[in-house]
Amino acid sequence: MTYSNQDIAEMIRESAVDRRVYIDPEIFELEMERIWGKAWIYIAHESQIPGPGDFFTTELARQPVLLVRQNEDTFNLFFNRCAHKGTKVLELESGRASLIRCGYHGWTYKTDGSCHSITGGEEAYKSLGLTKASPCMSLGRLPRVDSYRGFIFASLAPEAPDLRTWLGPTATSIDNMVDRSPEGKLEITGGVLRYRHDSNWKLFVENLNDMMHAMIAHQSSAQTARVIGNRLFPKGMTPPPEVQILAPFAEDKDFFESMGIHAFENGHSYSGGKTSIHASYSGIPEYEEAMKKAYGKERTNEILSLNRHNTIVYPGFTCKGAIQTIRVVKPVAVNETVIESWTLRLVGAPGEMLHRSILYCNLINSSANIVGPDDYEAYHRIQHGLQTEGRRWVANARYLGAETPNEEGGYSATGSSDMVFRNQFRAWLGYMVDDRAGSRERAS
Amino acid sequence: MRPKPTPQELEQYLYREARLIDEKRWDEWAGLFVEEGEYWVPASRGQPDPDNHVSLVYERSLLRDIRLKRYNHPNAMSLQPQPYSVHLISNVMLDSYDEDSGLCVVNSRFIMLEYRRNEQLTYGGATTHTLEAAGESWKIRVKKVELVNCDSALGSIQIYF
Repeated sequence: MTYSNQDIAEMIRESAVDRRVYIDPEIFELEMERIWGKAWIYIAHESQIPGPGDFFTTELARQPVLLVRQNEDTFNLFFNRCAHKGTKVLELESGRASLIRCGYHGWTYKTDGSCHSITGGEEAYKSLGLTKASPCMSLGRLPRVDSYRGFIFASLAPEAPDLRTWLGPTATSIDNMVDRSPEGKLEITGGVLRYRHDSNWKLFVENLNDMMHAMIAHQSSAQTARVIGNRLFPKGMTPPPEVQILAPFAEDKDFFESMGIHAFENGHSYSGGKTSIHASYSGIPEYEEAMKKAYGKERTNEILSLNRHNTIVYPGFTCKGAIQTIRVVKPVAVNETVIESWTLRLVGAPGEMLHRSILYCNLINSSANIVGPDDYEAYHRIQHGLQTEGRRWVANARYLGAETPNEEGGYSATGSSDMVFRNQFRAWLGYMVDDRAGSRERAS
Repeated sequence: MRPKPTPQELEQYLYREARLIDEKRWDEWAGLFVEEGEYWVPASRGQPDPDNHVSLVYERSLLRDIRLKRYNHPNAMSLQPQPYSVHLISNVMLDSYDEDSGLCVVNSRFIMLEYRRNEQLTYGGATTHTLEAAGESWKIRVKKVELVNCDSALGSIQIYF
């Protein structure tokens, strides 16, 4: 069937959503066009393209794109396809190129996207009045690209609120992650973990701020870590980082309630604040010294006491300031999603800080760890369970109406509230039924 | 001083190690490692170390203990139903042997099938065992598994390679 806006609007109730939003391929195609084709989508971090000619290739809403640094101040984002025949011009994920050369017929482009040379010369296009300077001979530019404190986002919609405005209060989660570097600088390092899920992208995006699941779904790993940790490191001994990272997932319901959740415009949210599962990691004295030297004692305490758990910049970017990792959502199909986990080094901080972030990623985000597979399994079973026709609605009803306005202009609620999901679907609906003329017109 | 191990001795050792995994004889398998023995599955080709770069798995005894205990946890959602594995080990070669320390480095190739709930996954790669002499046999100091597709987007991997 083809869904009208009315049909789509009827799929979202305040306390529940129609199961088809997770399982219908047609809805997924509409999401790619109307959500992923309009929102700001994370591309890369500026540290991945430090010098002129450095490039990074990725996908935005399944479309291959190419990020390249032109000079110290400018980087460009192009659709990764040759103006001639449509071939992806760069296939490697990253590298350096003074000229971007298509491997098929040898057209070359400068790092500003303009055509540098056409194999056999321009004469072949004379009858059409075209030269290599004609716009259709250059690499196609994405309508909007911007970066916030080093994090580069792009939008396929020419009309979009500016990135900073759109991020809203979740920008402060990025700020906190950057501020944790004594030099105010982050650098992506240490590779990437890619985890392929056989489920809908929204299940992952909801789960990050689902405070109800950790103590149940991760009981087998967290409780085991706690039992073994307590045995090997009895009271008075500091457990090693592995136990410090794994055990808090088995905190009780009161703990997760008290972490709290906070939701904002555009579907964004974060969980935790004063406390989170990251709050009790051992201090690293050398790091704290470097921070105090850079920021002073008071500001350092302010920065390090902000213990948010997950921040979700809806629909596709999530970060953990306290542990300096980001997870990037790449939808592939209605029941297929790749999650990328990247680690950030705090420039000016001792190596132990990076080691902890790396350890965290290995333990929680790797496809071969003992935490992620339980999330994977939960999503898999939802994807399967929702095939049942017996019940149309998926409930988002917990603590409906109990949210309270917060100082940042959003709403806050107790940890186990479904407010974050309701907020995501409010944004989802806004994108999906917003058919203002021109919102999807591409730059030619 | 211990004589250089024969190819057959090494092969039998690796076959047995793989068989203990396939038969889920976890206590015996864990017992093959020295106290702080490492199991390392890098996430990229030629990855220099496990500290400054993410890995699919980097475990020593503590994390190994946790993983193995979790295999019997009643509420491990992803282990219901259980996964099963079959390993094929081949191309076993002794890379180096130090008579004085009794340390030997063995390279081999493997294919592993991991089966769970109507889905069979295939993995392949190269394994480097660093073994140290222990009585009549050997103990594993490092088992490093380099998957041929270590840098691709993989689904859940729940059994040891």
